[in-house]
Amino acid sequence: MLERAGVPAVSICTDAFAAPARAMAEMYGLPDFEPVMIPHPIASLSRAEIEANVAPAIVDVVRVLLGAS
Amino acid sequence: MTDLPVIDIDEVRQVMEDYFERGWTDGLPVMPVTESVVEEFLAMTDLGPEEVVLAMPHLDRECTVRMAAINAAMAGCLPEYFPVVLAAWSALRLEGYVERAIWQSTTGTAPMLLVNGPVRERIGLNSKGNVFGSGFRPNATIGRAIRLTAINAFGLRPHELDQATQGNPAKYTACIAENEEQSPWPAFHVEHGLDVDSSAVTAMTMRSVVHIEARHTTVPEQLALDLADTIRRTGALIHETISACIALGPEHAELFAHAGWDKDALRGFVHEHAFNSREALTAVGKDAVSGKTRWRLSSAHPDSVPDSASGQDVVPVLTSEQAVQIVVVGAHNSGVSAVIETFGPRGGAPAIAPVEAAPASSV
Repeated sequence: MLERAGVPAVSICTDAFAAPARAMAEMYGLPDFEPVMIPHPIASLSRAEIEANVAPAIVDVVRVLLGAS
Repeated sequence: MTDLPVIDIDEVRQVMEDYFERGWTDGLPVMPVTESVVEEFLAMTDLGPEEVVLAMPHLDRECTVRMAAINAAMAGCLPEYFPVVLAAWSALRLEGYVERAIWQSTTGTAPMLLVNGPVRERIGLNSKGNVFGSGFRPNATIGRAIRLTAINAFGLRPHELDQATQGNPAKYTACIAENEEQSPWPAFHVEHGLDVDSSAVTAMTMRSVVHIEARHTTVPEQLALDLADTIRRTGALIHETISACIALGPEHAELFAHAGWDKDALRGFVHEHAFNSREALTAVGKDAVSGKTRWRLSSAHPDSVPDSASGQDVVPVLTSEQAVQIVVVGAHNSGVSAVIETFGPRGGAPAIAPVEAAPASSV
């Protein structure tokens, strides 16, 4: 939605949701839309474990945002 | 032998295999459908074929009467079941969870349909023995019509847009009818303001059907406590509270009625006794809620805020008496009932839609 409005956007989800994320992107007519994946799970992790999982993904977040603009 | 119709079985098999290859199935064989079959279904309603029975704006997809008819035919419905299928769609629309993507959720809910009124007898819906089980074409195929539509019209296939972690067996089909004849109380649709001669479908997005064994007692309080204990189980608590439909076997309904309890008396008792102690919630780490999602979690979690019963040792699982619905189903042959664990806190009127009469020209 934001991309269509010209606003660079990135979708972040855990790798357990890769298939539905791709299916939704295709349905919205954005087959090249690249969600940034982080490892599953989230809910059962501590703050430190989540930060450790998210840190490596920051580069991808920036890359996708710049690429989309 | 000469009276039997002659068909080319290889061609029939080829058509059925083609449906599988296209993914137009829940895993079981589906009925091949031709334009003439669809016409028979469409003749059972005054609605136009392009009218929308349910829209999912987030998917930019909608199901028309024609698509509902095709899937009902594929599910194995007879044309005369179609008004019940359409009422089911109206009830699901009224309930409101489906448009909000509940069928894609990891929770893995299924739509439980409850049918009341004369249409049960007219089309042969089972309301008695094995009511949640197999063996009856209208029950089996009306519920399946909804599921096949979810797959084929909305594209909600497992491993793709349907993200259910485990799902539940009712995702194949879930359609029951009330055993009004062996219920001591007014029929469900009558209780909720519809005419006794009318027929209706109630939609209940549900997670589980939990079995209750209670053949041992004639004391209404004991039986009602067994029901309340099943409803309050901590495993069901993703949110702060839950809701339920008690599916009483006729024998249990009779036990309550003989003791002078009506549905409101049972509802009131269950509402009052369906609670957890603070200690029980702490033991499973569900003694607080998230400040963001209001999902239950431990008070030790950094996102936690106190729940609505903060400071009390008794933590109710039902927001009101109306969060419990009661229906009578099954055979009058033992002390068995069930709790249908419905999704969401509820508390308002159930989602009931009348079954519209087929156009006069169709009968």
